[in-house]
Amino acid sequence: MPVRALTVWLVVVALPGAAECERADSARIAAAGGSITEIIYFLGAEDRLVAVDSTSNFPAAAREFPSVGYVRTLSAEGLLSLTPTLVLGEDDMGPPEAVAMVARAGVTLVRVDEVHTARGIIDKVRCVGSVLGLHDRSAVLSSSELEPVAHVLRRLKEEVTRKPRVAFLLQFRDGAPIGAGRGTSAQGLLDMVQADNVLADFEGWKPVSMEAMSRAAPDFVVITERGVRGAGGAATVLAHPALALVLGNGARDNADRLIVMDGMAMLGFGPRTLTTALELAKRLHGAQTAFLDIRE
Amino acid sequence: MDAVFGRPVARARNRVAVPRQIRYRTPAVVALAMALAVAGVLALASGAIPVSLVDLFGNAANELHRAVLLEIRAPRVLLAGCVGAALALSGAALQGLFRNPLADPGLIGVSSGAALGASVMIVLGGGMAIASVLAPYIVPLAAIAGALLVTWFLYLFSTRYGQFSIVTIVLVGIATNALAGVGIGVLQYLSDDAGLRTLTFWMMGSFGRATWPTTTPAVFLMLAAAVPILIVARSLDLLQLGEAEAWYMGVDVRRLKRGVVLSSAAAVGAGVALVGIVGFVGLVVPHLVRLAIGAGHRHLLPGAALLGATLTILADTLARTAASPAEIPVSLVTSALGAPFFLWLIARERPR
Repeated sequence: MPVRALTVWLVVVALPGAAECERADSARIAAAGGSITEIIYFLGAEDRLVAVDSTSNFPAAAREFPSVGYVRTLSAEGLLSLTPTLVLGEDDMGPPEAVAMVARAGVTLVRVDEVHTARGIIDKVRCVGSVLGLHDRSAVLSSSELEPVAHVLRRLKEEVTRKPRVAFLLQFRDGAPIGAGRGTSAQGLLDMVQADNVLADFEGWKPVSMEAMSRAAPDFVVITERGVRGAGGAATVLAHPALALVLGNGARDNADRLIVMDGMAMLGFGPRTLTTALELAKRLHGAQTAFLDIRE
Repeated sequence: MDAVFGRPVARARNRVAVPRQIRYRTPAVVALAMALAVAGVLALASGAIPVSLVDLFGNAANELHRAVLLEIRAPRVLLAGCVGAALALSGAALQGLFRNPLADPGLIGVSSGAALGASVMIVLGGGMAIASVLAPYIVPLAAIAGALLVTWFLYLFSTRYGQFSIVTIVLVGIATNALAGVGIGVLQYLSDDAGLRTLTFWMMGSFGRATWPTTTPAVFLMLAAAVPILIVARSLDLLQLGEAEAWYMGVDVRRLKRGVVLSSAAAVGAGVALVGIVGFVGLVVPHLVRLAIGAGHRHLLPGAALLGATLTILADTLARTAASPAEIPVSLVTSALGAPFFLWLIARERPR
């Protein structure tokens, strides 16, 4: 796949800031990426933050920091003007030229690997913990807050006999729902909760036609809150031909089969994605998974 | 000799205002050059990091400030100036060539042709075996090829069906933009998540990616493309009388058309490849200059280039300081200023 080759080239050759998770001077951190900011708060290191990007909207307090723009269109001089000692970013931070300029100005750059699994989230927290010199705290918090959820999700894998068939929708664009194919972050989430992605026959985020939707015949449709708001409310979404067709014919009440959750909580792959996954698993698997509550 | 040929054209167009415009046009070009210098210094001196003007002239005390000036702001200001100049110069030359005041690289589809060419490379180019020496130039070259294709198409269309009327050129422009849009849409559909986001933000237009290694070759290319446009100013003046008339007065019309088309495509393509689409500069700037110093191309072309550079540098300065430490896309600024001006131009024509 040529695109992937280009991306690999960009990441390997053109982008400085490897994901080495080595301790760095973190007196003043600029965080580029919603999950990175979330993890910094999770580790209680928010007093070191000097800047965030525009995807950092959880927790709400993070929005008080100066924003250096969208994670992929950072401003080199804007970043430097806040004199960070460390730019800690998601693996898609960019553009490469701006990132390279910041690196040349002597600021340490760390790009944290993104893997869309429960393990990937825990590794991310550990990586940020190591970079900030909070290795022990991140280990303690991981084993008390994250590992139990990951464990339950692993157990889910053994217990589930029939995977629910799920379509994940981001939003509606020009009236057509944008669905998550394979290779997306949503695919990672669905794998975590032992659900079958009914749209996995295409790659990436693509508009899904009414016919493709009814052929896919999902048991559940998961959609982001923003997508519902953009479409004009849950009732409008349910009445959309593409959804009415698949959700209207089932045995269950169709409102139960439309699951609306916060998009960044589901797809940000920070700590709260684990708890969100647990919640989603409960809704998808219903009564057969009483053990999901053990943790509480 | 040149002035003799230049004048009657301008006089025919703006009967009343001509004397004043002609008397002041050389000083006006000089004034525009000085304005450009001021804008350049202003742009270098402003940004998210406060750097004093004294630091501009050597011995900057702070290593960071020096790096910001030389590595971030300087290539950015230079690129903004060159792209603005290239767009305005191409706009002025194309307006002269098509004898149509609406011929703007963006409006008639040249910019979106360049965008299409560059998108092809961004999405599909990674799989091709390209020597790493050439790699930084592949996207600009593809953008130039795209711009060339569209300009050539317009040129063929105009020679086959006679002279463009204003309505025809706008309609052909809409069709061309739509076709390029289809191509870009197909590429967006084909690309994966990462490619899609690269493409989206590339399309928005920003000078934030200006670095010396990418800026230098683009600047040379734009300068090289500007020279042939500037030296055919007199021929463009004669062309305003009509193609046949220009031919009888010794202008090789075919060569002139080919030269202007190729040079504009190269200049616009090189700019678009690095910064994405910057709207309205190519349309509005030549009109501003024409209002001030008349339609004679010997002064209009350099004047448009200077004013285009000045305005684009100022627009970019606004784009990177208004929402500091974040940036707003520069095309938002140029279009927000250019579109109302365009409406004003239309309203101004109406009462007659």
